[in-house]
Amino acid sequence: MRTTFSPILASLANVFRIPLSQTVTRPAATAALGRFNGNSNSNSTTNAAAGSSSSTRQFSTTSAMLKRHRGPTIDRRITMIRYFLHHPLTPRPLRFSRTRFLRHWTIHRAWHLYRAQQRRAHQVELERQWHAMRAACEELRTGAGDGGKLFRKSMIKTGVFRDLFPIEYARLQTEGPPAEGWNHEWRRR
Amino acid sequence: MAHCERASKPLLQCLQKTYTKGLPGLQLQSTRAFQTTALAREEVQTEIKSQPFHKAPDPALVSSPRLERKLLRQGVSPIGSRRRRVALQDSLNIPFEQLPYQCFQEARKVLLADREEKLRDITSMREKISRLEALTTEQAGGEQVKKSKLRAMELHLEHLKIQADINDPLVKKKFEDGQGDMSKPIYRYLADRKWREYRRKILVQRITQMKVVPDVVPHCDPILDTKLYFARRQIQPGEFVDSKASFEAPKLDVQMFEGGEKLVTIAVVDPDVPNVEKDGFDFNMHYMAVNVPISAINTKVDLAQLSTESQVIFPWAPPVAQKGSPYHRLSLIIFEQRDSQPLDFAAIKAQETTRENLLARTLETRYKLKPIGAFLFRTQWDDSMYEVMKTIGYPDAEIELRRKRDEKLPYKRRNTARMRG
Repeated sequence: MRTTFSPILASLANVFRIPLSQTVTRPAATAALGRFNGNSNSNSTTNAAAGSSSSTRQFSTTSAMLKRHRGPTIDRRITMIRYFLHHPLTPRPLRFSRTRFLRHWTIHRAWHLYRAQQRRAHQVELERQWHAMRAACEELRTGAGDGGKLFRKSMIKTGVFRDLFPIEYARLQTEGPPAEGWNHEWRRR
Repeated sequence: MAHCERASKPLLQCLQKTYTKGLPGLQLQSTRAFQTTALAREEVQTEIKSQPFHKAPDPALVSSPRLERKLLRQGVSPIGSRRRRVALQDSLNIPFEQLPYQCFQEARKVLLADREEKLRDITSMREKISRLEALTTEQAGGEQVKKSKLRAMELHLEHLKIQADINDPLVKKKFEDGQGDMSKPIYRYLADRKWREYRRKILVQRITQMKVVPDVVPHCDPILDTKLYFARRQIQPGEFVDSKASFEAPKLDVQMFEGGEKLVTIAVVDPDVPNVEKDGFDFNMHYMAVNVPISAINTKVDLAQLSTESQVIFPWAPPVAQKGSPYHRLSLIIFEQRDSQPLDFAAIKAQETTRENLLARTLETRYKLKPIGAFLFRTQWDDSMYEVMKTIGYPDAEIELRRKRDEKLPYKRRNTARMRG
């Protein structure tokens, strides 16, 4: 059966945010019922109660939807990211002042410029060597006076890398000799 | 923390002394560092400081609230935070390029050497260009060859000019502070790069999504950074503008990123005027001005202030949108005139008599124009639109447009026998 509250109880319920029973939450229906019964006293009571509870929820189904979904979904990846990002062992982000950042930027640009210059110098040196070798071969072909026989002999590549493999290729090729030279103390263990 | 400061204080003072000894050429203008008594600095101080600090406080260094209030009463607000000002009082005010950090100084040496090399390249390239220009066409190997060679050399020269300055930290700092001198190529280059990073993308997206580009002009590749202001309020591209605000002509800020001066034609076109008879839309020219000079330094264009004798063909007509009509796209197109030659104002004024259905495409072909900048804002019916219409005497202010409801198709009984198959 429908339960009715005194106005004092209803106002107390409003103050303490206690949701009233299910019939009270539908003000239109209760009002219609009261009018139908002709019970003016209970009608006014329920109206007051309905007015008090309507501030929180009236026709909203949000709580029901939430209940169906059982709370907000938690993405474990985001939880992990947050955990590691705010962990005390994580170092703080690198922050520079204005001038310090500008100094940093200057050094950075200079370093990149230096590397680019080095690369270009290396490229130019390789090109020079290649052209010198080409000129030497041309000289051998035309200027040796043997009709280019020596040149043709030297260009024969049969058996290259077939019977024997050059010993230099046994280790990684480097630009120059090692800084400390030959290690005479090394012994096989 | 406190311990750390106490421990490092003598060390810092020691360091400061060595700096001042190591850098004799410094013009030090620190006000407070009395404990380091270098001779050179005292001379500088006696020259500059005739009054004590509390008589004439420096807004960059003042830190006590009493002096701050005194400054504020004089109408000068202190610069930066109080914390920063206190820190500056103890600083040596060494100029940025003389900061005594070894790696930084070495880096500066590398950059300066590179700059010297670039400057030498620039002079040699200039000499090459002048030598090529001195040659006759036959010696250079033909008209076309000479022209393309010169063009390539000039492009390379521009590139070198930018490369000479792009590694300068002070140039970067000045640009970030917005104090870049736009007459110099490096600042124009940096500004162009910044504009293309974000704002140009937004603009191009708006004018293509709202179909200004095929509707008003067939193609537009913006190279001008355009800002539009209605009553000193900046409008974002594609924004809805209140009709009261757009009653007066807008102001433009047109930033060019090339050197030299250009003459442009500015047109504001509305391609969305509803035409009930033909069940479609018409064009309307809201503004048109020719021979507007712009350059990298001279950016401000006030559409209301242009001269009516030599520039404005059609003065500003406030954009209106009837009630119920879809929104109007007011597209502002900036055309480059061919070879920056001035157009004949009187002839254009005589030829273009009606605003209605004057297309931007027509102007483009008739006067050999090329769109180099665009902007877009929108207008729709709002509360003040009726007043604006009354003020300008718009004839159909009371009319509200309604979309015609589609007639229902006649009911037809389904052929169920066919469905049963």
